[in-house]
Amino acid sequence: HQVLRISVADEAQVQTVKELEDLEHLQLDFWRGPAQPGSPIDIRVPFPSIQAVKVFLEARDIRYTVMIEDVQSLLDEEQEQMFASQSWARSTNTFNYATYHTLQEIYDFMDLLAAEHPELVSKLQIGSSYEGRPIYVLKFSTGGNNRPAIWIDTGIHSREWVTQASGVWFAKKITQDYGQDPTLTAILDNMDIFLEIVTNPDGFAFTHSKNRLWRKTRSLTSGSTCIGVDPNRNWDAGFGKAGASSNPCSETYRGKFANSEVEVKSIVDFVKDHRNIKAFISIHSYSQLLLYPFGYKKESPADKDELDQVARSAVEALTSLYGTKFKYGSIITTIYQASGGTIDWTYNQGIKYSFTFELRDTGRYGFLLPASQIVPTAQETWLALLTIMEHTLSHPY
Amino acid sequence: MFIFITSCVGVEPQPSTVDRAVLSFLALLSLQPSRRSFGSNQKKEYKVDLAFTTELYNPEEGKERLGKCSARVFFRNEKPRPAINITCTRLIEKKTRQEEDYRLYKYMKQLQNLLDVVSIPDSHGHIDPSLRPIWDLAFLGSSYVMWEKTTQFLHYYMAQLSSVKQWKTNEDAIDFDYTVLLHEFSTQEMIPCHIHLVWYPGKPLKVKYHCQELQTPEEASGTEGGSAVAQTELSNF
Repeated sequence: HQVLRISVADEAQVQTVKELEDLEHLQLDFWRGPAQPGSPIDIRVPFPSIQAVKVFLEARDIRYTVMIEDVQSLLDEEQEQMFASQSWARSTNTFNYATYHTLQEIYDFMDLLAAEHPELVSKLQIGSSYEGRPIYVLKFSTGGNNRPAIWIDTGIHSREWVTQASGVWFAKKITQDYGQDPTLTAILDNMDIFLEIVTNPDGFAFTHSKNRLWRKTRSLTSGSTCIGVDPNRNWDAGFGKAGASSNPCSETYRGKFANSEVEVKSIVDFVKDHRNIKAFISIHSYSQLLLYPFGYKKESPADKDELDQVARSAVEALTSLYGTKFKYGSIITTIYQASGGTIDWTYNQGIKYSFTFELRDTGRYGFLLPASQIVPTAQETWLALLTIMEHTLSHPY
Repeated sequence: MFIFITSCVGVEPQPSTVDRAVLSFLALLSLQPSRRSFGSNQKKEYKVDLAFTTELYNPEEGKERLGKCSARVFFRNEKPRPAINITCTRLIEKKTRQEEDYRLYKYMKQLQNLLDVVSIPDSHGHIDPSLRPIWDLAFLGSSYVMWEKTTQFLHYYMAQLSSVKQWKTNEDAIDFDYTVLLHEFSTQEMIPCHIHLVWYPGKPLKVKYHCQELQTPEEASGTEGGSAVAQTELSNF
């Protein structure tokens, strides 16, 4: 089969091509139908009809080019490529960390990692998403019983792809460095790490299937045709106050009530049941910031000075790797007023070391960060995370 | 005409951490949170001071030439379209600039089949090098739209060139009709804008645009409003 691209010079030629459409025996498949002069017309022509169609066009002085010489070979090639890039990695050592992955690939990765390091890694399901997808958390633990823990989440806003990708990298990094890197080893010998890589799986699936720039959950809101709640406005901290929207069509829609989103409620329940989380880090992109509470009010948290110091050290560590500049401060003074936010809630629960990251970049690519930047971003962020975790370890409370 | 800003030198340096770091003046402006030097008087005027460097669009090997700029941006009464005072030193000479523009123009004139273009960058942040100038031209038009909308509270970025509706080069000027998604930072909204620009090197850029302002339910078909916008000319932009 070939695909021909036809250039029609005038309305008469458009009509002529339309006549072709009516000739059913030719079995033509119009990819781009006749519209008006100036608009190309693309037709897939089965082999037996190729001669006839070309003669038809040439006799009427209608110009065309062969856009695709052989459709089948293109399809064959595409199949090959799809299999190649499907990243059916058989181990986390052959997994490609420098590319973006689908939900299924990330979920498969988690299983691989847990299978490869059963003494360190386990996969927990903390709930199910609105559309019924499992919500998984990786637990990194060297033992003990309900040890003080560090929580890290990525991908709460689904379009912030560098964050889920970084989460995958962090998971692998932890398994590589335990027993090798003194800092991480000390941390894991005394504390557990919980890592939720795809915090908003419905949104993430949607960014792959329909809308790359989708941010919210995919829950239906009764009384509105708009879908989704901003999961970082749905927490019970300053809920209803300025800094979130009450309009379901807004990107910062808070939801009908706090914890209305199962993706949020699952974490809330987990944190409350655990009772021993000492640091909580929620990761977003973009704008290169490290933030601490509050977002919903101007008053500083009681631990402001310490949090500011920790943020400063963490940012220094981050910058030391590639020179990436970060700003830091409280949410409300550094970025904007935001109510119902994650770390405001966790801080109010008594989790002192509550931080939010905004990773690369500062707007040039924004959410569409080139895959080549995934690993450098993860590497530099990891240094900041280590700083926070180490401080948490050496400052028990 | 093309001034690309690579880094902000001054109070808080932003070195280019991406290759060919290209930030628009406006994107740079959006980076300035409340830490920047703000002055305000009774008439509710906010000003922001910026310092940054520029680089050549297509830097030749060993010919790194950084221009230096400083700017003061004035927002009045929370209105958009801030006034800008800007001075630059060490920019390349006008004649060279014109040659560069013309070279770019000639490259663009021979580009075809752009009507198939969707999503630049793609989901993975990739831009085909041959299509890079299209993104840049789209960005130039967008930067005008963003300037028209920027206030001290509303900051915009061009998230994506989402489609090319028309790319006409048969006459002298390049006639470029396209849609972009603008990301507004404080509301996190993605705003589709339909932009029509006409460029001929040496002449002021002509920009018409219409942005979908209302938060329409995402199921509704993406209609762009019917009202035509008065043609706007840019000079010295």
